[in-house]
Amino acid sequence: MRFAALAALSIHDVKNRLALMAARAENRGDNETLRDALAAAGELTRLLACYKAETGLLRPDIDAFSPADLVKELVTETRPLSQLDILGDSQLAPQSWFYDESLIRMVLANALHNALRFARQRILVTARESGDWLELCVADDGPGYPPEMLANPARPAPMSEEGVGIGLYLARHVAALHENHGFRGEVSLDNAPGAVFCLKLPR
Amino acid sequence: MASLSAHENKKFLIVDDMPEMRSSLRSQLASLGHSRVAISSNVKTAVAQLEQDSFDVILCDYFLGDGSDGQQLLEHVRKRKLISRSTLFIMITAEKGYVSVMTAAECLPDDYLLKPFTADALKLRLESLLDKKARLAKVDAMQDKERWPEVVAACDEIIASGDRYQTEARRIRGNALIACGRFDEAMAFYRQVLAIRVMPWARFGLARAQFAQGELEACTATLRQLIEEAPQLLSAYDLLSQIQLDAGQTDDALHTLDQACEIAPESLSRHRAIARVAEKKGDFTRVESALTRVVTKTRNSPLRETADIASLGNAHAEMGAPEKAIQLIDEARKNFKSDADDPHLAAVEALAQHKAGRPELAAAALSRALDTTPGSLPQDVALRIARACLATGQQDKGEAILKSIVQNNPESTAVHAQVTEALNVHGTPGRAAALIQEGVQEVVALNNEAVRRGRAGELGAAAEMLTEAAERLPGNAQIVSNAAFALLLDIYSNGPDTVKLHDALRFQKRVTMLDARHPKLADIAELQRRIRTKYGQTA
Repeated sequence: MRFAALAALSIHDVKNRLALMAARAENRGDNETLRDALAAAGELTRLLACYKAETGLLRPDIDAFSPADLVKELVTETRPLSQLDILGDSQLAPQSWFYDESLIRMVLANALHNALRFARQRILVTARESGDWLELCVADDGPGYPPEMLANPARPAPMSEEGVGIGLYLARHVAALHENHGFRGEVSLDNAPGAVFCLKLPR
Repeated sequence: MASLSAHENKKFLIVDDMPEMRSSLRSQLASLGHSRVAISSNVKTAVAQLEQDSFDVILCDYFLGDGSDGQQLLEHVRKRKLISRSTLFIMITAEKGYVSVMTAAECLPDDYLLKPFTADALKLRLESLLDKKARLAKVDAMQDKERWPEVVAACDEIIASGDRYQTEARRIRGNALIACGRFDEAMAFYRQVLAIRVMPWARFGLARAQFAQGELEACTATLRQLIEEAPQLLSAYDLLSQIQLDAGQTDDALHTLDQACEIAPESLSRHRAIARVAEKKGDFTRVESALTRVVTKTRNSPLRETADIASLGNAHAEMGAPEKAIQLIDEARKNFKSDADDPHLAAVEALAQHKAGRPELAAAALSRALDTTPGSLPQDVALRIARACLATGQQDKGEAILKSIVQNNPESTAVHAQVTEALNVHGTPGRAAALIQEGVQEVVALNNEAVRRGRAGELGAAAEMLTEAAERLPGNAQIVSNAAFALLLDIYSNGPDTVKLHDALRFQKRVTMLDARHPKLADIAELQRRIRTKYGQTA
């Protein structure tokens, strides 16, 4: 417990330093450093969230937010970091939806950072209302998920060489925290043929 | 959506203790075309800037160094109304987990921004939040003016439009219904919201409406369920502890506040609440530990409150360390000129000097405490002065103050208990019952006499008599409401009078504050309607 508290403080401190590093990089137009600083900070955010998820302390703070804003912010934030075409599509998005904005942003930012590594030319982030669900998807035109990931989607895989594991584990956990009238959020992976990561949240 | 150009030329205030973060934020804002940017490195300078100037957007880091934080700053400036609802308050933090405690909506920032973020991300977020403020401008303006029925109507408009701000409008609507005393409507409304989706703010709103309606058992059940669903909502603990305290369950109240402190150890208001409960219980060890923390944390900060020093000093004196109390008060006066003549501190000093065996100094301090008319002071301060009078042998003065406290709250058994306790400890035990009875009877006689004059057609005399009594006993809802009614009746019969109308409205507001469910309020509203019908809208 003492180590956990110490680790939380260190993470906070490191994130502050990363924020300074990101600010300096942004000032001089150094997008590579900016990208790495943002990615590293994201990694720490997920690490802490993971710890909280395992100790039952990850509690969603659910309110009404605009999925279109979220998509726009993620795309705008990520675009300068890469040569890829990063597009957002919110044409079928609802005006507002209920979720924990910072948790959902964390999950999607992670999916987007993964897509940055595997995409060939383009990434598409979409938000759309489908029946009683909000679907938030990140699709790339890369090689797609390896078959073993698609074969056993429920398998919790916090550790993997690709680093996808902690993200996916957390994504499923966060999705399940979004519950309303007995319906729980879920994550689905698909190849179409590039990787499609989809987060579904109940009305 | 409006573009940034619609939001240009906004005034920003950056509050951050780290110089590099301040300049980084400033250059991000500059890159977005914002040049009207003021900067603060701590709570003290931020408060000073907010006192002098108004800002459109405040970007505040959560950690401000020296043990202070952005949440404390926000609560302070909201409480003192240093910022209006149209000001955007954005809390910047590296980690949402640190700040994921929730409190009453008026003490929440408009948004959290997680570090690190790019200038582009900041731009989008500002646009979207400023759009929201623009959409809610009318609602916010009416809220600032406390014109609740108009707030409800403005919210209804947004809800009917079905746009993205409808949830925010629902939250404000519920709050406005409670603020204008429409509790049944508020309960039905929150239940309707909860049926669609369980949200902590709606559950808490339901609890507040139940509390206001006096449905304490239902309210307690709602709060327990809420604490189960959303343990980080601090306001739930605050309200639950208040119910427990009112029911005389001080141990339970303390336990509830302890739970809240575990979730938010830095929250000054909860430590203050613990001290208040502990003092009622006579547990001065806990008062000392809670307030030592608050006083140490707020030393030389605008978050400091003189009442903390007074209560801590009193606890020291009660614990047999009067010298410590005197030293604390001396130090406070040296550092803050405005404390020099503070009656609260003077009363505690009188008690401490008395306990330290220096009667002359005790008498001198007491006479300073009595310089202010006790009737115009908050009840806890008046009580403290009364106790000091009794302890130093000034029986008559002490009893007079206690009597006026009783007359301000003739029906409150809690106040009667405090008065009784003060007399038992410092004065003549057994005197309490007679004093309370005398006090209550005087008020009843005064009220009856006013009613008699009113019936006899001496409306002006009745109004004058009650106005005088209402000024003297501002906490007595019956007297104050009768004063408002008598003034309005006088106006209705004898024609409009600006001064009387002004007093009537002031008294009406006061009653609403004391007891939003007071039965006389409906009569007052009806009389106002008749006056408007008879003399037109201006009256």
